[in-house]
Amino acid sequence: MIYLHLRTLSGFLHNTDNNLFNLNHTTDMAGTKRMILRVAYAFLFLLLSNTAFSQPSGEALFKGNCAQCHSTGDNKVIGPGLKNIHERRDIEWLLKWTKNSQALVKAGDDYAVKIFNDYGKVVMPNQNLKDDEIIAIYDYVKAEGQKAAAVPAATTGGGTTEPIADQKTSPWLIITIVISLLVLYRILNRIKKGLEHALLAKEGKPIPEPVPAKQATKNWIRGNKKLIAFILLILFVWGSVEGWYALAGIGIQQGYEPDQPIKFSHKLHAGTNKIDCQYCHSSAAKSRHAGIPSANVCMNCHKYVQEGPVYGKEEISKIYAALDYDPNTGNYGPNQKPIQWVQVHNLPDLAYFNHSQHVTVGKIACQTCHGPVEEMDVLYQFSALTMGWCIDCHRTTEVKMEGNAYYADYAMWLKEKHGPDVKLTVDKIGGLECSRCHY
Amino acid sequence: MEKRYWKGLEELQNDPEFIKLRDNEFYELLPVKENDHKPETSRRDFLKYLGFGVAAASLAACEAPVKKAIPYLVKPEEITPGVPNYYASTFFDGHDYASVLVKTREGRPIKVEGNELSSINGSGTNARTQASVLGLYDTGRLQHPKVNGKETDWKAVDNEITAKLNDVASKQGNIRILSSTIISPSTKKAITDFAARFPNTKHIQYDAISYSGMIKANQLTFDKAAIPSYRFDKADCIVAFECDFIGNWISSSQYARQYAQTRKLNAQKKNMSRHFQFEANLSLTGSNADFRYKLPVTEHGAALVALYNLIASKAGATALTSASTSVSEGLSKAADALWNARGKSLVVCGSNDVNHQVVVNGINQLLGNYGSTIDIANHSNLRQGIDEAVNELIAELNAGNVGALIVYNSNPVYSLPDGEAFASALKKVNLTISISDREDETSVHCQYLCPDNHYLESWNDAEPEAGVYSTCQPAIRPLYNTRQGQQSLLIWAGAPVTDFHEYMKANWNTLLAGSGKSWQNILQDGVFKKTNTAAPLVFKDSALAEAGNNAAAKKSGTGLVIYEMTAMGNGSQANNPWLLEFPDPISRLTWDNYFAVSITYANTLGIKQGNIIEVKAGNKSLKGPVLIQPGLADNTIAIAYGFGRTHAGKAGNGIGVNAYRLANGFQHLISGVEVSKTIEDDHQFAGIQTHHTLMGRNRDILKETTLAAWTQDSASNNTVEKITTYKGKQLPHEVDLWATEKQPGFDKPNHLWGMVIDLNSCFGCGSCVVACTAENNVPVVGKDEIRRSREMHWIRIDRYYSSDADPDKNEGKKDYSKMEIPSDNPQVVFQPMMCQHCNHAPCETVCPVAATPHSSEGLNMMAYNRCVGTRYCENNCPYKVRRFNWFKYFDNDQFDYNMNNSTGKMVLNPDVIVRSRGVMEKCSLCVQRIQAGKLQAKKEGRRPHDGEIKTACAQACPADAIVFGDYLNKESEAAKMKEDPRSYHVLPALNTQPNIYYQVKVRNV
Repeated sequence: MIYLHLRTLSGFLHNTDNNLFNLNHTTDMAGTKRMILRVAYAFLFLLLSNTAFSQPSGEALFKGNCAQCHSTGDNKVIGPGLKNIHERRDIEWLLKWTKNSQALVKAGDDYAVKIFNDYGKVVMPNQNLKDDEIIAIYDYVKAEGQKAAAVPAATTGGGTTEPIADQKTSPWLIITIVISLLVLYRILNRIKKGLEHALLAKEGKPIPEPVPAKQATKNWIRGNKKLIAFILLILFVWGSVEGWYALAGIGIQQGYEPDQPIKFSHKLHAGTNKIDCQYCHSSAAKSRHAGIPSANVCMNCHKYVQEGPVYGKEEISKIYAALDYDPNTGNYGPNQKPIQWVQVHNLPDLAYFNHSQHVTVGKIACQTCHGPVEEMDVLYQFSALTMGWCIDCHRTTEVKMEGNAYYADYAMWLKEKHGPDVKLTVDKIGGLECSRCHY
Repeated sequence: MEKRYWKGLEELQNDPEFIKLRDNEFYELLPVKENDHKPETSRRDFLKYLGFGVAAASLAACEAPVKKAIPYLVKPEEITPGVPNYYASTFFDGHDYASVLVKTREGRPIKVEGNELSSINGSGTNARTQASVLGLYDTGRLQHPKVNGKETDWKAVDNEITAKLNDVASKQGNIRILSSTIISPSTKKAITDFAARFPNTKHIQYDAISYSGMIKANQLTFDKAAIPSYRFDKADCIVAFECDFIGNWISSSQYARQYAQTRKLNAQKKNMSRHFQFEANLSLTGSNADFRYKLPVTEHGAALVALYNLIASKAGATALTSASTSVSEGLSKAADALWNARGKSLVVCGSNDVNHQVVVNGINQLLGNYGSTIDIANHSNLRQGIDEAVNELIAELNAGNVGALIVYNSNPVYSLPDGEAFASALKKVNLTISISDREDETSVHCQYLCPDNHYLESWNDAEPEAGVYSTCQPAIRPLYNTRQGQQSLLIWAGAPVTDFHEYMKANWNTLLAGSGKSWQNILQDGVFKKTNTAAPLVFKDSALAEAGNNAAAKKSGTGLVIYEMTAMGNGSQANNPWLLEFPDPISRLTWDNYFAVSITYANTLGIKQGNIIEVKAGNKSLKGPVLIQPGLADNTIAIAYGFGRTHAGKAGNGIGVNAYRLANGFQHLISGVEVSKTIEDDHQFAGIQTHHTLMGRNRDILKETTLAAWTQDSASNNTVEKITTYKGKQLPHEVDLWATEKQPGFDKPNHLWGMVIDLNSCFGCGSCVVACTAENNVPVVGKDEIRRSREMHWIRIDRYYSSDADPDKNEGKKDYSKMEIPSDNPQVVFQPMMCQHCNHAPCETVCPVAATPHSSEGLNMMAYNRCVGTRYCENNCPYKVRRFNWFKYFDNDQFDYNMNNSTGKMVLNPDVIVRSRGVMEKCSLCVQRIQAGKLQAKKEGRRPHDGEIKTACAQACPADAIVFGDYLNKESEAAKMKEDPRSYHVLPALNTQPNIYYQVKVRNV
């Protein structure tokens, strides 16, 4: 779309040139009017191209839809790493694959069949995304891959492999173009008027009195009612669309990454040191709350580990301060003050979520919802935590019924009803019913 | 003859107001006024608010507030955030006793349940016990020790008090401790230790509602000054005189539980007890009796003597002086039944007159009930106050013979008939100390206020019956700067061990010696029983003849019954908004007490409901509003204790009138009172009786039969009316669009949750109502809102009167006047009513936003955040169980109850959301408990056990009348009960297919 509009813009520029040329030859007022209309249309399209149908954020889409199974690097997660995928496959193929990978496999596409077999015949879920959203995702993957390549290059002090400029048209560029066009128009208009006056003077006709600016504007408005109505209509549509998206985004804090009182790194603890999630978040298996570990859990290790690799003693000493602990004597003092962490995942009160249901019964990995925590230096909210997000997962996730006597008869009944090959997903056992989560 | 049911006199008399209410779904049309002083909101105002609202919403949405998550620094081992812990404890406030389990979440108590291990109350509790948890978070509690009205610290208080006590002792001055009944062995020991340190100390126990007459009667007849323990479960015939043993008498949740066992009927158990009630007031117990006779207060003693004589003639014993009553027919019927069940019968009496109680003891002795249904050897400790001791103390105070007075958990200025005199007598004492939970009517007259802990913050123990013990342990640290009364006494006495926990533990180690149980066991179980059966006592009839003469003495004039109301008890929990809003089972009124009179008597006096009358008993008089109440004896006025507090706190002050003032000589039955009308039509009651009528379709609502008929046919009077269709007459479920249970397509494969309610053992005590309030964060709306029919209780107990007269049979014309005659003594039925979780729910189909769909487990779900508040569902619900949030009931100064302050909000159940304004709500069948139970089963890889999941109402019910379960589990109690021929659906003709079943009430007549 952007390209299309840019093309319109260049077309306009071209036309303007023509008009400018024409100016010298004609005094036709209609020509001026046409030109003004063109300027307006072009301006509107520019506006629309950048705002109303705002560029989908590849990063958000990737994290929301793909990151559970794919990385932007070379490493395999569940599916292949997507680094340099644009070199391996063209965009048409990628669009088809993303929307319905199985169709490609069934159609016997060699590459598709190979990928499918290489990755344990795990079916990639069909992504219900628009073409431009998928393109945005792959653009993001491409950019990430090049960024990663750029970093080592920079560190070695070698050639400056600047990442290719963002495909997005910068709003400043457009504003500059528009302003310069307006200035140009004004200058040309002056010239035109001067020429007209000169012409009139030459012909001996009286030069019309200059119309005051206010009156001129009024006249212009009167003469361009359709245009004004059109502009207002467009502005209204634009406002509505923008408003709609703004409202839909209220309360969604995906990517929320607040500063914490202690610069605790999950990457270091869960990633590098491979400490099990539930060592600290022990109530996740037992309770609705995963729980933030109490400071005495920290002390299990930090009684001995008194210095960190990045911040040295600075951050660990904050735990000591909270417990009024003296690492030299090993004594706890009386002036203890709780650590006030900032809650990252804020589920609204109206929704009841139980960790143990998902962790103990459903055997869902923490990363499914919380993302690659082991790679996060600063924890951020990985998933959208919207009701749609919950429901999507309930529609696709199979219930771990095997070996659980609770489900024995139920599974039999469900297979009788839906057929033996049915995927017993959460929604099949009432997982979409209101009072499972709202009471 | 067909029975007709009616809900109140308004219905019976076709009161125009009632008709209006009955025919209109809502009490009034869309009231948008928030209060009467402001003008109505104009259209422009509305637009302003709308504009502001939109702007505010968009501004607020810009940035989500930063929420803090503050974990424990050192997490206690037993706490897992989000998982409740239960601690065994004991509730005793000097009046009600219950061994309880306290549910705590993250260290704060949020609910109390009965302790199944207890031999006293078992899993049952009464409404006041259920409400006691809210008392912990009462902001009206005293939060610091005070000296002469100024806040101070404990050290200063202790120093001054110890010095003054020593001063009093050195001058040989008398020290008196006035307390409510103390059943704690350790507390008694602490008081004994205190008395050992200050030898001139005397401990006087005082029950606000006195049972002294019974204690003295046992002293006279058995040489033992105590209340016996009762075994209603062993009684085949029960005769009660003005005794509300189900609702309020001594240990009501225990007796209700025992009595219920004799009232259950099923395929295995085919007999039930027969219950006669003779009373002037209509009590909860009387309304459950098989035979109820109106016994005027003036004839109370005579009736007891007459019954004695009837039994004596059968037993061949000497009769007492002759006595005649207006209920002789009923008495001879009762005497026959008692004699047939001798040895397995029970006569109880609620009078505080020692003569009455001596005669009752005589009757029970003749019937051979001692040792079977009554145990005086293993007595009850729950009431120990002796009226004479209190009178003696008052005399001492007035004479200036008391050097120091410690008032401990007792409020004599409020509850003595002459409380004002006690207050002025207090001024004659040099040292007055109050150990109370609040600055109450007595404390304000004391110099030193030493605030006591709430029972959930305290260590304590209890011996409710001889040899039956229970313990009380703190479930939370003291919220305020308070200290246990026992600890205060130990400190002032300079005891070597002043920590009451240690002190009590030492006691228990002695008590537990040789029992094989440890202190830890006891704390975990909460109960302990010592099997040391005392030898039976010998009955002495020496006092009988004189008592008979005194009891039979002719009395005249208007009778006054001062009774205990199920909500308020003795008034110690008067600041508890849950109890204030709890509708009385009989009158269905909230936030009030009143002078109840029968309609005949009201006509005689020329008074109407709402009039203010003045009642004079002895030298005291009291003004209060009149309520016309069916079932009262003529020439009788009844009023409840426990109201009219002036220093209870924000919610309880000034509610009702203080009936203690009329209890002349600590008597509950008073003859010869004077009545005068003062103001006409002044008082507005907040009753819920005529709300939520079932549109006159009452033949399908209540079903009852007699024991004889039921023995013949277990489905007696349990037929479903057929509907005429083109195929002929058909049962409602045969004419159905949707699949019903047992048909293909019904599709409830995993669970089908439901409840079966046995109307035979539901006594209407309302424990379930308060339990539901506590469990489901049901808001308190206050008197004004209740007057507008906007109460929020998810479960209500409908009380129906029935009369045998049939208006249709009167020459083809409907004539309700005939029904007025039996309405003087109507039969009563209680029916708990909550969301019926209809499988074909009328509410579900009318919701425009699908906020109330049906679950695959049979629940009628309610998604609050989806609800837009059209109230179509409320309109379409035939059971009238849906409740609309007319206002935001939390953080709202208009509703200044527990949800308006951060302390009060600590009682909220974190697993249930607090609903906001504009949404519908209703019984969820405690879906949070169902989900938790299922999750536990899933984690352990098994099906849920029957009884593992219980709704709050079913758990609290002392009679186990409500049984919750999974109908798909054929072994479950609920599934079996549902198949019983007695089970029926309310309004079956509507074919709503509810998951709630009721069981036909059977009367043993």
